[in-house]
Amino acid sequence: MRRALLLNLPLTAYTAVLELQRGSAAARKDGRLDRDLVILLEHPPVFTLGRRGGKENLLLPEEKLQERGIDIVPIERGGNITYHGPGQLVCYVIFDLRRAKLSVTELVSSLEKVMIKTAEHWNIQARGDKEHRGAWVSQRKLGSVGVTIRHGISFHGLALNATTSMEPFSWINPCGISGCTMTSLSKESGKAVDTELVRRQMLGHISDIFNLELEPIQIEHLKKITGQV
Amino acid sequence: MKEIHELNLPENLHYTKDHEWARKQGDLIVVGINDYAQDQLGDIVFVELPEPGEKFSEGDEFGTVESVKAVSELFLPIAGEVADINEDLADTPELVNSNPYDEGWMIKFKPDNPADFDKLLDRDAYLTMLKG
Repeated sequence: MRRALLLNLPLTAYTAVLELQRGSAAARKDGRLDRDLVILLEHPPVFTLGRRGGKENLLLPEEKLQERGIDIVPIERGGNITYHGPGQLVCYVIFDLRRAKLSVTELVSSLEKVMIKTAEHWNIQARGDKEHRGAWVSQRKLGSVGVTIRHGISFHGLALNATTSMEPFSWINPCGISGCTMTSLSKESGKAVDTELVRRQMLGHISDIFNLELEPIQIEHLKKITGQV
Repeated sequence: MKEIHELNLPENLHYTKDHEWARKQGDLIVVGINDYAQDQLGDIVFVELPEPGEKFSEGDEFGTVESVKAVSELFLPIAGEVADINEDLADTPELVNSNPYDEGWMIKFKPDNPADFDKLLDRDAYLTMLKG
């Protein structure tokens, strides 16, 4: 097993963690961060656009989102428009891919697998899809994947809907696929889902699938390493 | 995923630490991504390239390659100005997978300082880095 760091955060603003991800990827590259890093958290409501945009898949005027206090953040990850919000577990993987002996496709497949295995705890049979990446239950999308590779270091990662409100997804064509319906663990299982429990389940599978021994790190300590104090 | 000994890395090309290849063509340098990079990325669905005339500094990002749900950024350790781009990649990005060194080339650029070409790695130095 490889030793890696785990930053476990509560509900945290998207842009704050975006900077931390970028800083961590740079620190991983030049060795200031001597191990791979996993960040697990939830975000307040936000829409993010992938590298190739996705604003055309926003079905609501931007002002309507602003009225609701929801930002649209363009970022560098693969994929199209997506929504993050409370009840959705987001996991970022800052991995040195060559040292981890992972190809980009293997990384994406492994992230799908983390979501599929987590869904099994809730008696939900999800699957990956080679063309439309993510975790799917029949034709409904349970979780998304999108990563960036900068100088051989990955960042961004996966987003799994545990108890996420489905309403904001109706304001977009998720992932740029028209008619794509989103779903969640609570919706599919018909049960009350404890997101704390889902976090623990996910961490177990991250550790198994990537063969990592996860050691917690505090955000202040990580910021000191990345020089973002 | 290919083993290092299975990689096709032509002797007559130079390479970067970020897995691009480069060769001289007159006073221009032709650049693409190498067999290691295309194999790592999997099926390429989109290639984002700069416009001819764009200038970039040493170490700047000059484009991206997108495989499904993954964007990889492209970098060059040489400053210069873009002279030409491979327009075919807009419709057939898969050429980068099938033929990374010929039909899958990405940009041609004019280096600010031609001697910078020597900053690139030869095949042996690149292989040593890969194994390291």
